[in-house]
Amino acid sequence: MIQFVNVTKVYPNAHAPALNGVNLSIGRGEFVFVVGPSGAGKSTLMKLLYREELPSSGKVLLDGKDIARVREGDVPYLRRQLGVIFQDFKLLPERTVFENVAFALECTDVARREIMRRVPASLELVGLRHKTHSKASELSGGEQQRVAVARAIVRNPVLVIADEPTGNLDPENSWAIMKLLTDINKMGATVVVATHAKNIVNEMKKRVIAIEKGKVARDEERGTYGYES
Amino acid sequence: MNLRAWVTAIRDALRSMTQSSLMSLASIATVAVSLLVLSVVLLLALNLDYMAESVEKEVQIKAYLCSAQDEDPTCNKQELKDEQKKIIVEQVRKVPGVRELRFVSKEEALQEMKEEFGEQKDILEGLEGENPLRDSVEIQAQDVQQVTAIAEAVAKIQGVADVNYGQAYVNTLMTFTRAIRIGGVGLVLMLIIATVLTISNTIRLAVYARRREVAIMKLVGATDWFIRRPFMMEGIFLGVFGALIAMGLTGYGYSKVVVYMDQNIPFWPVARPEHVLMNQTLGLVVLGGVLGAAGSLISLRRFLKV
Repeated sequence: MIQFVNVTKVYPNAHAPALNGVNLSIGRGEFVFVVGPSGAGKSTLMKLLYREELPSSGKVLLDGKDIARVREGDVPYLRRQLGVIFQDFKLLPERTVFENVAFALECTDVARREIMRRVPASLELVGLRHKTHSKASELSGGEQQRVAVARAIVRNPVLVIADEPTGNLDPENSWAIMKLLTDINKMGATVVVATHAKNIVNEMKKRVIAIEKGKVARDEERGTYGYES
Repeated sequence: MNLRAWVTAIRDALRSMTQSSLMSLASIATVAVSLLVLSVVLLLALNLDYMAESVEKEVQIKAYLCSAQDEDPTCNKQELKDEQKKIIVEQVRKVPGVRELRFVSKEEALQEMKEEFGEQKDILEGLEGENPLRDSVEIQAQDVQQVTAIAEAVAKIQGVADVNYGQAYVNTLMTFTRAIRIGGVGLVLMLIIATVLTISNTIRLAVYARRREVAIMKLVGATDWFIRRPFMMEGIFLGVFGALIAMGLTGYGYSKVVVYMDQNIPFWPVARPEHVLMNQTLGLVVLGGVLGAAGSLISLRRFLKV
């Protein structure tokens, strides 16, 4: 599903590469945690996945396709196969929960009828059906992140990328989000989560890839967080 | 590019305008003021041109025909026969650039002179017997630029003693009207540029306020055109509303001014509102819309690079 072949990423004006010769492979249907100290290159790795950044050298392959060779005009179509979740939720605060989720479908020319069917189903899954018509800005952090998850999965993506999805949440809400991601994974999507949530990683016993100073330091099936706090 | 996408875009544009209504009002006001200045200057320029044109229309070439008293050697000191006069008039008519002409016999000329003298026409008493005036042809040119060429051509016609068109006057007039036109066009161009900058700057602010939304749209896989459409519609709305306000004010004001001028200085040539306002409104609305759309698209370019 995902392959990194000797990927190096150097940002302009940076003294050291953010990623340095990374090789890894993630199969279809896997659930993977990406861990490591701040600034180790986790976010860069995630950005390469949804093609916000391109590698300076090496290749990132999605389903065997080199993302660097996707034409600029086709990038939106690439992103439609992905669901992306962020630490800061990235919702439209002035719009309702329904509109925020529907937004992802409207952007991609899905018919109104289909939107009316899929958005409630998605909100049901994250347990926010009762907040359908609330404004996003009126929700708690945990609820907002669940809206973001609903938005990410409403298109049935093959790959869900979550960059520190619980970074702004309390433990209880963090668990709720991780539980949701596990459910999505069970439904067939590949899930990649960059996180600092030590307890969750340790308890869930999933594959853990640790990034340190731009390199893969560990890659363990049923791994642990491995860092203090 | 389907209908639903445009409907969505218009809905989003209207929603964003009502959500940030203060910002939208400020933008519309800025556009309206810029276009108001432009439209007032445009009307001034139109009127100056209209004035120049009506003054130019009054330029007249007068060709005097030979008479027995004429010293001119080509005249042979002979009175012209009526047929000869007719031939001369026909020849004048064929000179390129002649718009209108009128033959004025010396009797008519004397009559007109009496009318001009009014109460003092007694001075001219007794001239009927021995009329010192000459037959003439009054010529109007299609274009004031051609006056000199026409005068020269007419002077060469056999039987024309001399030609008068107020060379000095026409030359000054032409320099003056040309200066007015160049100045007017220059001023309007400068104002259009200023308006473009003002409007695109205004819209840039509106787009900047929504850069977050643009970034999210990109991330969920919206195509660039999907993102551009509502902004473009918003730009068009802002531009068109602004233009309508500007033209509403200009039209109202101009109609009042014209009525006032008709009553108080009726001889002053004024471009009629019914002739100019419709075209100008159409032009300004289109300009407003195009500027709004272009302003949005240009401002968006930076934010689409996510």
